[in-house]
Amino acid sequence: MRRLTLNAAALAVLLVTIFPVYWMFLTAFKPTRDIQSETPTFWPTAPTLEHFATAVSAPGFWTFWRNSLLVTVVAVLLALVVALLAAFAVARMRWRGRGAFVVMVFAAQMAPWEALLVPVFIIARDTELLDSLAMLTGVYFMITLPFTIVALRGFLAAIPPELEEAAQVDGCSRLVAFRRVVFPLLAPGLMATSLFGFITAWNEFAFVNVLIIKDHDKRTLPVWLSSFRDVFGTDWGATMAAASLFALPALLLFLFLQRRVGTGMTAGAIKG
Amino acid sequence: MKHRLTAAVAALALAAAACGSGASTGTPASSGPVKLAVWIMDGSVTQDLLKTFETRYETAHPKTDLDLQIQAWDGIGERVTAALASTDAPDVIEVGNTQVAQYAASGGVTDLTAKVADLKGEDWLPGLAQPGNIDGKQYGVPWYAANRVVVYNKDLFAKAGIDTPPKTRDEWLNVTEKLNKGGNQGIYLPGQTWYALAGFVWDEGGDLAVQEGGKWRGALDTPQALAGMDFYKRLQALGKGPKEADEANPPQHEVFAQGKTAQIVAVPGIAARVLEVEPKLKGKMGFFPIPGKTADKPGAVFTGGSDLIIPAAAKHQDEAYEVIKELAGEQFQTELAKAMSFVPNRTSLASVLSGDEGTAAMAVGAAVGRATPNTPNWAAVEATSVIKQYMTAVLTGADPATEAKKVSESITTTLNSGS
Amino acid sequence: MRTRSLWPYLLIAPTVAGGAFLLLYPLLKAAVISLQHFRMGELIRGGAALVGLENYQELLGGAEFWQVLLRTVVWTAINVALIVALATGVALMLVRLRRGMRLALMSALALAWATPVIAATTIFQWLFQSELGVVNWLLTTLGLDSFDGYTWFANGNATFAVLVILVVWQSVPFAALTLYAGLTTIPAELYESARIDGGTGWQVFWKITVPILRQLFALITALEVIWVAKCFPQIWVLSQGGPGDATTTLPIYAFKVARVLHRYDLGSAVALLTVGILAVALISNLRRMVRS
Repeated sequence: MRRLTLNAAALAVLLVTIFPVYWMFLTAFKPTRDIQSETPTFWPTAPTLEHFATAVSAPGFWTFWRNSLLVTVVAVLLALVVALLAAFAVARMRWRGRGAFVVMVFAAQMAPWEALLVPVFIIARDTELLDSLAMLTGVYFMITLPFTIVALRGFLAAIPPELEEAAQVDGCSRLVAFRRVVFPLLAPGLMATSLFGFITAWNEFAFVNVLIIKDHDKRTLPVWLSSFRDVFGTDWGATMAAASLFALPALLLFLFLQRRVGTGMTAGAIKG
Repeated sequence: MKHRLTAAVAALALAAAACGSGASTGTPASSGPVKLAVWIMDGSVTQDLLKTFETRYETAHPKTDLDLQIQAWDGIGERVTAALASTDAPDVIEVGNTQVAQYAASGGVTDLTAKVADLKGEDWLPGLAQPGNIDGKQYGVPWYAANRVVVYNKDLFAKAGIDTPPKTRDEWLNVTEKLNKGGNQGIYLPGQTWYALAGFVWDEGGDLAVQEGGKWRGALDTPQALAGMDFYKRLQALGKGPKEADEANPPQHEVFAQGKTAQIVAVPGIAARVLEVEPKLKGKMGFFPIPGKTADKPGAVFTGGSDLIIPAAAKHQDEAYEVIKELAGEQFQTELAKAMSFVPNRTSLASVLSGDEGTAAMAVGAAVGRATPNTPNWAAVEATSVIKQYMTAVLTGADPATEAKKVSESITTTLNSGS
Repeated sequence: MRTRSLWPYLLIAPTVAGGAFLLLYPLLKAAVISLQHFRMGELIRGGAALVGLENYQELLGGAEFWQVLLRTVVWTAINVALIVALATGVALMLVRLRRGMRLALMSALALAWATPVIAATTIFQWLFQSELGVVNWLLTTLGLDSFDGYTWFANGNATFAVLVILVVWQSVPFAALTLYAGLTTIPAELYESARIDGGTGWQVFWKITVPILRQLFALITALEVIWVAKCFPQIWVLSQGGPGDATTTLPIYAFKVARVLHRYDLGSAVALLTVGILAVALISNLRRMVRS
């Protein structure tokens, strides 16, 4: 009896959790007349790809999609490399100013990015970095960096330093010891963290509006999607198809990393 | 591009070094055509006409490569500001006539006073030329004007047995009530179509804001303005227009295209957009001026429209002016007026519209056309959408007098804050 | 092993440099702007004049800022309380589930978590549509006829509620999965001995689970406070802070003041005050966590 209640409750949570995502994909595949019917249908009766065709053929879709992917991937990789260095210093070395540095990194998560639009715009203008994807990448790198450091520090701390020391005793240099011993153990953590960074950067749209001005072809997908009414009007099928295509990279990345993320996220968070 | 990005990213890792490096976009090469970026607002020009213009212009000016970018209305204020403040701005920007004053006042727009004669500015429409003129200097070049009329579905009118369009407000309410039956909407009037409200307020003798002794005061709380709002409420109730949205969300031409809406308040040019969605409505759309309080005087309307500006930060000032000259010139003006049912920028060109039902209705209204309060701060009132929120509040049952007092105070504050 | 070498400083150099150019420098610029008369004209022409603390006086002296601040506190409190409570419940549930069901639920949670904010926000707009939205259909089918064609986004409280649902839906997965991982580290013997001593489930939770995971709870709460208080894209895309001011929290307010009214000076002042408030609320907490 208890188990039954438990399972029923779990099922309810599962349904509530998954429904919005399911509804997005379902709507994207439904023919328009089903979308506009008074009684909704909850499974695909006559799936169609027409909405995806509409979304994909909307002007600029692929350019925006590609820009988003480029900016996001570069920003996340850059953040991972830089964060790994810093996390190593924090987790494995003792030095003057370490505590202050960690507090600063935590505090950096509070940065009011939306309110820094104008200062960042002015800096970009004065350094001739307007209309450049590099500046956008830099901003996304900085937005994701603090959390990446915090998370990687947790993962690193979870790996006993004795492992490295043993390797060093065996004659490896510190760098080799790190690469051979620590890095493989850290891989899941790196992946989990990169997923988080990916989602954050993939979503950002406020900065695109002020940093990309004249060069239309450098806009990214979220800007386009956030003004979907200008693009699709009341066509919810196409809107949901566009949203699906937008969510896809993050979901695919997640499925790909799933097992690692499961274990990785936890280790990092506990030690956080 | 890949290389540049990699390079710039590497530079960013070293942070400070990134100041100097980075991409050099938009700098024209010494040879080859000059690329001119021109921002046109969504809905101003049909795709076909833009294409025609681009081809013709590039043939006549082989050294120019036109990059005509359609801008979405969403977030346009920020983008234009960022563009004016940048070092490499688009070369020509279309700006709404209620917005042009604030940009001109900010100092980021090129002064074109010397070119007025060349552009035949002597008979420009005042509703477009005046907002573009600050302290006697002309910054905005009038492009096109339009005002709202009632667009109706002829089939639904015939079905309801209505053969003549209403001439007075009372008739209008009666007719609309008759049409609002059997799954059809008498009128689709979203709760936040504030340009329509402005017309009703002006009809009553009220105004949005008044200037007294150098100070502006929001005036939606006057008895006249409240009477205008009351009429709006009665009319709005005769259809299913959403009380919390404006005419763009969802786009009202799409609602009208479904064929179950008898009337919308819109510029006649919307007919072209309706036909893009539903070609079957061809020939089924009629137009009449917004009815006034009495049959001898049509309803007052807001004169909307656009000006063209050249940002001071644009790199190709002379080439940009050439484009403006073409866009504001007789040939394109005629084409634009015909394709979009707009009023051309010069009164002497008005004759190109004769014979068009939509523009005939518009011309009646244009005779009593009005403008929003003439101050650079007015754009901020629009941007905060306080008037829209006031309308939604009243339509969903709040006390009109209290709400009107609130919104008027808010308008007073915004209009009197320095810029 | 306290090294005297330069290595640690070299390792953090990229972080420090990036932070200096892309975070500290803009922040300082914002601080300067907040002390100037800086509007559209100054942004375009340059040459802003210093006005001292005028902008702060205008903010703190007007009623609006305090209303927004209060709303932000309420917004944060409601969301964080719901997130932590629901996440704890889901985590406790996960521990007790059999393998198959547990994996299914964890995948569902992760899927919701991985859905990008903009996509999720767009979905919720569609779910809560007045005419064809599935939520209204469901409520009407359940007999609540007043929801037939109900316009969620016309009413301040309803919009607020939709936003809370959205943010909670997006935030619970991360918190729940993290707490679940924490729960699995508690040795089973501890629970067994507690049960033998006759503790009820409720007592066991408060006496054993909570104390052991106190740190983890503190971390999650701190992170959620930061994320929820700063939450921007959901609100901006869904309601733009409206209707009226019903969903205008501090980040939305700062954005509106700066970008819509072109009061960059006032917007910067709001931003700096936000940072100050968050810092006061959290720094001591963070310090303790970092120390341990």
